[in-house]
Parts: sequence; C-alpha cells; structure tokens
Amino acid sequence: MIHNIKEQGGAVIVALEGDVDLQSSPDARKALLECVGRKMPVVVDLSGVGYIDSSGVASLVESLQSARKIGSKLVLAAVSEGALRVLQLARLDKVFTICNSVEAGLEKVK
Amino acid sequence: MAKRQTADASDGGEVQIYDHLELLSAMGQEFASSLDIEASLKRAIEHITNYVNAEGGALFMLNDEGKTLRCHASTGPTDITGLTLDADQGIVGRCVQNNASEIIRDVSKDAGFHGGIDEKTGFTTKSILCAPMSVKDERIGAIELINKRGGDGLFEDNDLHLLQAMSASAAMAILNARMAEALVEQERLARELELAAEIQRSLLPEAGGKDYPLSGVNHAARTVSGDFYDFFPLDDGRICFNLGDVSGKGMNAALLMAKTASLFRCLGKTVRKPGRLMARVNAEICETATRGMFVTMAGGIYDPATGIVLLSNAGHEPPLFHDTNDNFHDMPAEAPPLGITAMLADGNEFPETELRLDGGTLYIFTDGLTEGYLEDGSELGVEGFKAVIRENANLDAAARLDAVIKLIDRGDVALRDDLTVLAIDDSKNHAARQTGHTPSNVTIDVFGSDEPELLLSLTVPSQADRLKLVRNAVLETAKFCGCDKDVSRDLVIAVDEACQNVIRHAYGGSPNGKIELKICRNEDELIILLRDFAETIDVSKVQPRDLDDIKPGGLGTHFIREVMDEVEFLASPGDGGNLLRMMKKL
Repeated sequence: MIHNIKEQGGAVIVALEGDVDLQSSPDARKALLECVGRKMPVVVDLSGVGYIDSSGVASLVESLQSARKIGSKLVLAAVSEGALRVLQLARLDKVFTICNSVEAGLEKVK
Repeated sequence: MAKRQTADASDGGEVQIYDHLELLSAMGQEFASSLDIEASLKRAIEHITNYVNAEGGALFMLNDEGKTLRCHASTGPTDITGLTLDADQGIVGRCVQNNASEIIRDVSKDAGFHGGIDEKTGFTTKSILCAPMSVKDERIGAIELINKRGGDGLFEDNDLHLLQAMSASAAMAILNARMAEALVEQERLARELELAAEIQRSLLPEAGGKDYPLSGVNHAARTVSGDFYDFFPLDDGRICFNLGDVSGKGMNAALLMAKTASLFRCLGKTVRKPGRLMARVNAEICETATRGMFVTMAGGIYDPATGIVLLSNAGHEPPLFHDTNDNFHDMPAEAPPLGITAMLADGNEFPETELRLDGGTLYIFTDGLTEGYLEDGSELGVEGFKAVIRENANLDAAARLDAVIKLIDRGDVALRDDLTVLAIDDSKNHAARQTGHTPSNVTIDVFGSDEPELLLSLTVPSQADRLKLVRNAVLETAKFCGCDKDVSRDLVIAVDEACQNVIRHAYGGSPNGKIELKICRNEDELIILLRDFAETIDVSKVQPRDLDDIKPGGLGTHFIREVMDEVEFLASPGDGGNLLRMMKKL
C-alpha cells in the first residue's frame, strides 16, 4: 500500500492505494492520524483501495474519532466496491460521511 | 409341674394367671411385643413373684461384661432396682457363678446372705429362693424371691422347681428380646447402607450406548464400595474419565470415594489438563482428608477425534494398553496417591502421559480385579487378565469386561475386594478416522457425509505479508467455483480475517507459526478449514465485538460470522492448535 497526501482548498486529501491489510494498516493509520493532526478537514480517497480489512477499518474509525475530538471533519471519498462492502459489514457506512468523489468530499468539508 | 396355684391379685394388681404354661406364654408375648425390655422385666418379676406367692422378688442381670450383677426389676416391700453387686457377691452371685439354683429356707443360717438391705429397710428376710437365668452356656442373671406369703414364710422345694422353670423361660425371653433388638438395629444399619449404596451407584456414569468408546464395571465387595469410575463428555468433544480406589473399605472409604469422584467431575469440566486436574483434586483432598486415608487414581482425557489419551496416574495400579498388534503395555504411576501430600515436586501439576490408542484399548482397573480369586482359588493376576482379554478380543469392550468380571464375581462367594474396571476402546473411532478422508487427523465430520473435492491446500508462515498471497489464492479458488464477485470478495474477507486472528491472537504476532488452509467443495457447500499449531484458544472468548463500541482492532470475527453461513471451532486436533471450519453455501 502507498499513500499520497496533499493539501487543497483548506483541506487535506489523503489517497490510500493498494491493499490496506494487517501488514499495511499501521502505515495507513499513521498517515491518517498525521493528516488529522494538521487541524484541517480530511478527505480520504479510497478509490485506489482494492482491499481493506478490519484493521484498516479500525484505522479509519480511530482517525474519525480523533478528528471529531478536535472539532474537525473527516470524510471518505470515491470508496471502492471492495472497501464499501467491508464498511457495510462493519455497519460503518452510516457512521462515515461517504462522498462519490474527492471533489464532492472537498465540498462537503468546506 | 403344672401345679395349679392362685396368684395374689390384691398384691401385684395384675390379672390373675392360673397356669404355669399360661404365665410362660404371657411372658414370652410380653417380651416379643414390647420394645422396652426394662418394662417387660418389671412385669415378668411381678408375675413370677405372684405366681410363686412370694413377698418380694428381684431380677438380676450380668452387666459390664459379666463383672457385676445389677437388679433390673424388683417387686415387693423393698424396691432394690438399680442395686449393683459384684458378680460373685451374695446368694445371687453364687447362684449365677455356679449356674445352680438354691433354696435357703432359713437365711439366718447362711453365710452368703447380704444383710445390709434388711438393715436399711427394716424388712426381715426369712427365706430365699434363687434360680439362675441362662440359655445353654450363656449366663444372663438370676431371679431371687424373698419370703413365702403366709404360714411360716419359708419356701418349699416345690417352689424352687417352679422358679427354676420360670427363670429358664425368662432367660429365653430376654435372650430373644436382645436378639430382636440387635436384629432391628442391624436392619436399620442395613437400610442405611443400602441407601448409601444407592447414592454411590448414582455417582457412576450411565452406560454410553453401543458404540460409545468408554465402558466400566463396578462390583462392591460389601454394600458400599471404595472404588469408583466416571466418564463425562467435555464440550469440545473430548471425554474426561477416571478410575480410583480409596484405601480401606466400608463407610469411611465410601464417603471419601464420593468426595473424590464429585471433585473430579466438578473440576474436570473446567480444568482440561489431567495433570493439573489431578493436582487440584489432590490439594482439595489433602486439605480435609482424614489422616491415613488416600486415593489412588488414574484419570485423563480421551479425544475421539485423534485417539489420543492424556493420562495422569496418581499411585494407581498401572493401566494396561492393548494395542492393535496384540501387545500389552503398562502405564506405571508417576505420582503419589491423592491425599498423601499437597507438596508436589513438579510445581502444581501431576505428570501426564500422552498415549496414542490408534485403535487399541486402554484398561484401567483396581487390584480387586487382578487379586480376585478364580474358581480354583488362584488369583487372576495381570497375566490372567491379559489372557481373558485376548480370548475375547472379538467381543466389544463391554462384553470383554463382563467376561473378566464373571470369572471373579461368580455370585456364590463374597468378593475379596471391590472390583472395578474401565475400558477405553478406540477401535470404532479409529476405523472412522481411517475412512474419514479427512486432512490431518481430524475425524469430526467436517465435510458432512459425502466425499468433498479438495480445491486448495496452502500452508503459509504466520506473517502479515503473506496475507495478500492467501487472499489471491482464495479469490481465484472462489472464481474457479463460479462464485460471483460479491461472494468471492466475502470469502476473501472471511479467510483474511481468520488468518489475521491466527497471526495476532493464536501466535501472538510471532512470525514463526504455520497456517494451513484447505478449501473443499461438497456439492453446494464451500468448506474452508484453517488450522494453526498455536496453543488452543478459549473459543468462548472469540466473539464478535459489539458494534456500538467500535474501537480500533477486533472487528474480524464479526466479519467472518457476517459473511459465512457456518463458523465453528472444531475439537482441538491431537497435536495441538486450533481448527476453524467455515462454510459458505454456494
């Protein structure tokens, strides 16, 4: 898994690519928490995530909780089919704000 | 002898009895119907005194193992009930010692007369009759009569003959009453013993049915037994068993037996290691056991899925293992009996032996079996036992045990010792394992009845970077089976999460473990078996987490249960580890 972080329009966009699994989720968690730490809204681009497991989902949850704690926003964008299935299994599709695209995500966090 | 005489009704206040035989019969009935011997004695002495027409009478019985004579009943002007003499004191003593009756027409001329009473009471003893009460050689006491009523107050020889006859009858009645009393007591004890035996029998396990691998027999030498055996299933499919022998016989042994058996059964349901279980039972018994009593016991756990027995032997007769090549092996004790010492050399556990039955039978027995007498008077012995087992090899285990037991408990003579034997017969489970077509040694019906088609078999180290490999293999296998994209993805999630659990929880993150994955198809079922070789985990703790309380980590089990149709941990395979079976309907 790789990740790309960029700032755009007062928000942080973090794109995860590849499989977020037991091996890579610690990296994903670190990246996500780092973005939240910038005290800007965060858009997580999941379009390139082929597979995400429970540990990856847990990282997303932890990031969302941190963001809420500091009054910041975190949305998921362009969630791949595979990732969406896992979020549904975790009943988290209603917990996260899920946007169709990164652009929609940026709009949402404004 | 049947001299008709009139009893003085005005004196005794009793119904007149006219005939000697009638008197004897009344006395006999009195003793037989009354449970109060002392009251019967009182009425007997009144009858006799009246009948012989004496002024007073006293009935003495030997007490204190024959050392003293005590007056148990008296009638007449002076009540001397309770008076105790030395066994050879006075006329009564002489009469009892010589077992001969006496007539002293004039006491003033007899040296044996004990004048003390007369002095105290002011009563003047003129004449005495005394006849011993005895039955055969058993001396019971004597009856003494004082002063004939009317006339010169002196007795005649006829009076003595009459008293002799009645004393003999009274002796018989007393002896009968004593025996009846002893009998009642004996019956009461017998009833209590029978109740104890009933409770004890209820502690033995119920027979397990025709194909059940364990069977046992317990024949008590007395009503209650100091031996016991037990077996009961554990919820992982294994069977916990034991056989023990309490030192001594009788009620104290039976009570310790009940305690030990209950402790084993109760603790055995949670303590799943025989060595640890034995140590726990030992500690409990040591805490409260009566000094000098102990229990020898062989106990363990049999796994029908693997044929493996974990056995711990605490000072018990070595169990015998009869293998399928017709060889016997004994399993000697490696620890002292239970109840001897709470201090164990090896920390908190008794030593434990692993035995692979592989279709053979393990016999555990008490020395009552090997030291039991055969019809010719010789002992069965261990060799004799082996011979009988060999002769009856074609029978099932329960019938083999019956054959051995019948040789010793032939029903005609009392058993020398309690007779107990337990057999763990692995033959049927072994046969099932051989035809089970199951991977590794797992015999539990993981696939249902039909032969499944093996699609994938993969072994990977317990490392996170191998999970992608596993996922891809599962995905391709699912596609191969014609699963659509969604089902395939779900199968990948389930296997991936299950592997993660193994890596993180079973192996605790260690990369040196091994994970075996097998995927099979059985008609419309896709069966996934995931095996690890880590320490067996507590299945009850593997629960989907509460989704209202999501914290990082630990959603995996929930995912697995969401996407699969069946998820279960199978009985821990013989060589340890965990086996997870997941099934998805196609």
